[in-house]
Amino acid sequence: MKYSYIKPRHKTVFTKDIQLLLTFFSVTLFMLFSTYAFLLFRDYRFVEEVADINEQKSELRAGILKMSDEIATIEKQSLLAEKVFTKNSVLRDSIANLFDLVPSRITLSEAKIMEDGLILYGITPNKDVYNFMLQAPLRSIFHRTYSSFYPDKNGWLRFVSTNYIDEEEEIGNEN
Amino acid sequence: MISKLFEFLYTKVFINIIVENTQTVVYVEVCSSKSVLQSMHKYFDTTTMNSKMYEFINAYYKESPFCYISVLDKSPLQGAIPTCNTNEMSKYCDINSSEYRCYAKNWAFYTSEYDLEAIKHEYRSIGVDFIFSPFAMMANFFKDKIENTLAMFLLIEDNYISFSVFDNSKLLYAQYLNMNHNKESDELLMESSLDDGDEDMSLGIEGIDLEEIDIEDDSVGFDDFTNIEDLDDTDSIDEFSQEQDIHEISQKEEQYVSADGFNEDYQRFSLIQSALNIFYKDPKYNSKFIENIYIADGVGVSGDLKNYLEEEMFLSVFIRKIDLGVALCDMAKAEI
Repeated sequence: MKYSYIKPRHKTVFTKDIQLLLTFFSVTLFMLFSTYAFLLFRDYRFVEEVADINEQKSELRAGILKMSDEIATIEKQSLLAEKVFTKNSVLRDSIANLFDLVPSRITLSEAKIMEDGLILYGITPNKDVYNFMLQAPLRSIFHRTYSSFYPDKNGWLRFVSTNYIDEEEEIGNEN
Repeated sequence: MISKLFEFLYTKVFINIIVENTQTVVYVEVCSSKSVLQSMHKYFDTTTMNSKMYEFINAYYKESPFCYISVLDKSPLQGAIPTCNTNEMSKYCDINSSEYRCYAKNWAFYTSEYDLEAIKHEYRSIGVDFIFSPFAMMANFFKDKIENTLAMFLLIEDNYISFSVFDNSKLLYAQYLNMNHNKESDELLMESSLDDGDEDMSLGIEGIDLEEIDIEDDSVGFDDFTNIEDLDDTDSIDEFSQEQDIHEISQKEEQYVSADGFNEDYQRFSLIQSALNIFYKDPKYNSKFIENIYIADGVGVSGDLKNYLEEEMFLSVFIRKIDLGVALCDMAKAEI
């Protein structure tokens, strides 16, 4: 029914006192929730940072492992390089010694250097020159030495000298 | 939603103000959601808002944020009209300067906009939520009778009578009768009713013939009205005036008091009769012969009024007591 000539004033429970009280509580609650939210955010950020740090740590660990592996590889390579260098030095010295071994009267036409042996092709004026001047030092170096001769056109002899170092002895020597 | 919840938790306070002739009645009802917790009537010897009334009302006003202040409209320019159509309303009242409300889409009650503003201004210190028309109050009070009866319906207040005629919930005629105004212009009214005497005869209303006799007697003075109920015996007024002289001086004062009450009832009777005359005679209204009258008695009328109406207008009179404060409060509750 609407039989009143005028409309009633708007009624609300939110009087000025209640409004003040609600404002106070609202501000307090807002501050509390803001603090709580800030703390939650900080906690979240902290957890995130911890996760990041852990990730970085694991990455660094992986990096360290990788670098350790690389260092090991490089060390191995270095050792290998040293070994190769030494081997090459030895080979160079051996070749130098070989050429030093060959007297001026004997002419080498070919030399095959192998792991455990040496094959020399050349021309000698005679067998004695070869036997005394080349075979003797070769015998002192190699364990087994085989020589074969065949005459050349000008009366000189072509020779093939096959020399071997026995591996067992070499291993025994190395040990 | 929150407001509704709080509304349920808080008590509602209804402050109902009824301005009477020399005093103001403030009826306060404190209600919970289910029951009435407290109710009281307080009388103030003033017709305007004074500090005592303000303090009393303000004390209850502070009790709950859901406090509603209702005022019963006392505007002499109010009334009710048998239409809700705005085009037809101007036939009955000055609609431009009036505020109106329709009742059940059948009829409307109206009041002066100026008087509404005056009420708001009068109670500006505490504010007003509802201003109700006595016609609406009467219609609610006699709802069960209005719907199925052709009768006069009256709401009697201290100085005013809300006069209406309903025919099966259709309003035929309504007028707001002011007793003070009647006092001032009593003689003029009587003369005019005398002039209309012949026309009343033609309508065949016996009561009106008797009224004319009374009015002629009124010219002698209102003090003689105590014996008006004996008019049917066709005793002469001269005899009555002789009887009055016999009374002792100490008894005279009491007589005057009772004579005032009697006077008021006669005034009411006179007003009712005049209003009924207008209803019968004015071609604007669809007049029908009225046999019953229902009175909502808000002041406590004496049996004299019933006697006048029964004996001089041959009406069947039914009187119901009404507590205006409670009725106003019920209307305010219905509005929320």
